[in-house]
Amino acid sequence: MYDLRLSEEQIAIRDMVRDFVAQDVFPIATKPERLEPFDTPLAIDLVDAASELGLRTLALPEDAGGAGADTLTCCIVAEELAAGDVDVASVLARTAALGGVLFNQLMNDEQRGRFLPAFVEDSRYHLALADREAGMETALGVDYHRDTGNRVDVATTARRNDRGEWVVNGEKTRVANAPLAKLFAVLVATDAGNGILLVPADAPGLTVTEVPRDGGWYVGSCGDVSFKDCAVPADNMLGPEAADLLAGPGSDFGLPEAQAINLGVGRAAFEAAMEYAGVRVQGGRPIVEHQAIGAKLAEVLINLETARNAIWQAAWTVDNPGAEPTGNFPPLPRAKISQVVTAERIYRATKDSAECFGAMGVMRDMPLQKYIHVSRVFLHTGDGNADTKLRIAEAATGFSHP
Amino acid sequence: MDFSLNQEQRAWQEKARKFAAEEIAPLSLERDAILDPFDAFDWEIIKKGSKLGFRTAVISREQGGHDIDFVTQAIVMTELAKADSAISKTFSQCWKWSHLIAAVCNDDQKERFLEPFLADDTFVLGFGATEPNGGSDNRMPPPGDIRAGHRLAGRVEGDTMVLNGDKVFIANGSIAKLFFVYVRTDPTVPIGQGTTLMMVPRDTPGFRHGKVFNKSGWRFYQNAELIFENARLPMANMVGELNGALRRREGEIGGDLFGDLELAANGLGICDAACDKAIALVRARKNGGALKDQQLIQLKIGRMKMLTEALRSYVMRVAWEHDEHILSTNAGLAMNLATDIIQEVTEIGMEIFDHAGTPMDRGIDKLVRDTFIWSHLAGDSVQRMKVARRVLSEEKFNLI
Repeated sequence: MYDLRLSEEQIAIRDMVRDFVAQDVFPIATKPERLEPFDTPLAIDLVDAASELGLRTLALPEDAGGAGADTLTCCIVAEELAAGDVDVASVLARTAALGGVLFNQLMNDEQRGRFLPAFVEDSRYHLALADREAGMETALGVDYHRDTGNRVDVATTARRNDRGEWVVNGEKTRVANAPLAKLFAVLVATDAGNGILLVPADAPGLTVTEVPRDGGWYVGSCGDVSFKDCAVPADNMLGPEAADLLAGPGSDFGLPEAQAINLGVGRAAFEAAMEYAGVRVQGGRPIVEHQAIGAKLAEVLINLETARNAIWQAAWTVDNPGAEPTGNFPPLPRAKISQVVTAERIYRATKDSAECFGAMGVMRDMPLQKYIHVSRVFLHTGDGNADTKLRIAEAATGFSHP
Repeated sequence: MDFSLNQEQRAWQEKARKFAAEEIAPLSLERDAILDPFDAFDWEIIKKGSKLGFRTAVISREQGGHDIDFVTQAIVMTELAKADSAISKTFSQCWKWSHLIAAVCNDDQKERFLEPFLADDTFVLGFGATEPNGGSDNRMPPPGDIRAGHRLAGRVEGDTMVLNGDKVFIANGSIAKLFFVYVRTDPTVPIGQGTTLMMVPRDTPGFRHGKVFNKSGWRFYQNAELIFENARLPMANMVGELNGALRRREGEIGGDLFGDLELAANGLGICDAACDKAIALVRARKNGGALKDQQLIQLKIGRMKMLTEALRSYVMRVAWEHDEHILSTNAGLAMNLATDIIQEVTEIGMEIFDHAGTPMDRGIDKLVRDTFIWSHLAGDSVQRMKVARRVLSEEKFNLI
C-alpha cells in the first residue's frame, strides 16, 4: 500500500491557513520594516490572529478544543504559515507541538485538569521547552561511535524541600518561545535522574531574558531562562519517559515541524522568483524563457520537493510509531534525515531564487535576502548538520551509546 | 616561473596590511551594523587611506600617482578586503576609472579632472550603467534589439549635452565627485552603436543622487540612484566619440579586465579573513572534544585553505598576465571562480562556528553576506556566459 493523498481535513486546514496568510499575513510580513534581519519585533497581532483560528491548539483532540491534528498536518500548517511569516509560524508551531505531546501524551489526568483549561481559553497561552543548558558542550564530536560518554549533562537541578515541593536552580539558554510562554517544560536533574518538570512562568524565582535579535540569529521568539530557588508543586513532574522523549540525545521532538517552517520559507522564495521571472524582460523575453533562469527555477523546485518528501515521511513516521514508510529495518532516523536534507536544500533554493532578481536579491527592502538569511539560520543552528549526520551514521549502523 | 614579489610590491603589501589591521578592521563590524545605508559610510577612513596613496594608487607617476602594477593592485585589494571587503572596493572603484582616464581621456580632460582628483582626499569616482530596464541587457545586449538596455537620454545641443533619465545601484553614487555615465545618444539603434560615455561632475545642474540602496552585504559601499533632469554637460566631457562608448577597439577581447581582476582579488581577501577566523576558533575551542582533534573539522579547514590558495594562484596569474599585456579569458574566469570559492569558503566558516556550539558570530555572518554580492556582480549566469562566449569565439588570443 502506498498512498500519498492528503485527507479532506488536511486539505481543508491547509487551504484555510493559505487564505489567512494571503489576506492577513503576507501584506504585513513583506513591509520593508519587517524585512530587516537585525531588529524586527515579532508580529504579535498575527500570532494572536492565528491563535484565534485554532493554530495554537491544533494538536489537541477535538473534544479538548483542538483540531486533532497529527504531526503531518502540523507540518502542512507550519509550511503555509512560514511562507507568510517565519516568526509567527515558529511561535505557533512550537506551542502546537508541545501542546500535543504534553497534554495528549505526557501529562497525567490531574496535571491535564490543572493546565488544560487555561491553555485552551487563553489565546496568548504559549508553551516552551527549556532543555538547553548554558555553557554545556552539546556536540557529539569525538564521542562519535565510541562507548565513551553519552553526555546529557544537566546542571539545572530540582530538589525536594521540606514541603515536598520541587525547588529548581539553574540556567537554560536560547529557549524557543520563552518570552511568550506561560508554561515551561524544564529538563532538570533530580536525585533519581533527569526529568521534565512543569514550571509556570509566574513561579517565583523564574526570570526570562529575551535574546537580542542582534543579527537575527533565531526565528520566532527566544529567551534565556534562569531559575533561582524556584519552587513548584510536587505534582508538576512528568513521568519518567518524558526526559528521553523531549530532550534526550536521540530526541527528534519538534524536528519535522521545524523543517516544515524552513520549507515554507523556501517556497515563498520560489513563488517570488517564479512571479518575477515571468514579468521581468531581459534579452528580449521574460527571463523564465531563458535556459539559465529556467534551469535555476527547476533546481529550486526539485529542492523544495525533495525536502517536502523527506519532511512528510518523517512526520508520517512520528504519526505511525513502529511503522516504517519503506519497510526498512532498522528504521531510518527520518526526522534527522529530513533536517539535513531540508537545511541544505532550502538554503540552495533561497539563494537560487534570489539570483533571479539580480541586485534586487540583496536589497533589504525586498524579501529575498530575508529568505536567504532565515534559511541560513536553519542551516547553522545548534550543532549544525555535521553533528546530525554523525548521529544518522550511528543509527544506520545500529550503534547506540551505552 | 617566479612567484616572488619584488621590494616595491612587498612594501605596498606591508603598508596595506598595516592599514587594514590597524585602521579598517576595528571599524568594519561597527559600520556593517548601522541600519541606514548612507550612514554606514565613513569619510574618515577614506581620507586616511587616501593620504597613504590607496585612492590614487594606479595613476601614473608623471601625473602624480603611484603607478602600481597589476600584481601590486591585486595584493593591495586583497589585503584591504581582508579587513573589510566593502571599504577595499570603495578604494579600488577609484582605480577602475583611473585606468579609464589614462586609457581614453584626452589631455584637456586629464587636466581638468586628474588634478582635482589627486588633490582632494574625498574625490572618489563612480560609474553609471545599470538602469531599471537595463541590467543583464546592458552586459549582454540581445543583438539588434533597440528596446534593450539603458535609456538615459542624451540630446546634443551645440556644445552641450542634455541628459534625462535614471540610473540605479550606481557604485559610489552618493559620494563620488565624478561619474562616468553611459548615455543613450541614439535610441534608433541598439546600445552597442548608440551609447556615449560622459563625465558627469557631482555639481552638474539638473543632476543629483536619489535613494541609497540598502544592501544585505557590503554595507559600507554606496550604491545609489542617479537622477538626471535636464542635466546639462559640456560636450568637452564626452569620452571618446559620440555613440562610440561600446564599440570594441582593436586588440580588445571584451570584458572588463581590471573589474574582473578586482572582484577576484577582493574576494580572496574575504577568504583569507574567513580562514583566519576559522583556524583561530578551531585552535582555541572545544565542543564534543577539542575542535582541532575532530576529523570533520580538519577536513573543513583543509578545504577552506585549499580553495583559498587555489584562488590566490589564479588571481596572481591574472594580475601577472595584465602586467605582461597578455590577453586571455582568465580574468573573467577567475572572477566567476571567485564567486563559487568565496561563498563556499565563508559558508564552511559558518559550519566551523556551528561546531563550536555557540550563537553565530557576527564577523563570519558579515563575510557570508558580503559574498552574496558576487552572485549578481561576478558570478551570475550573464557574467559566466559572457566569459564562456569569449572562450568559444574563434578569435585568437595570446594565450599561454
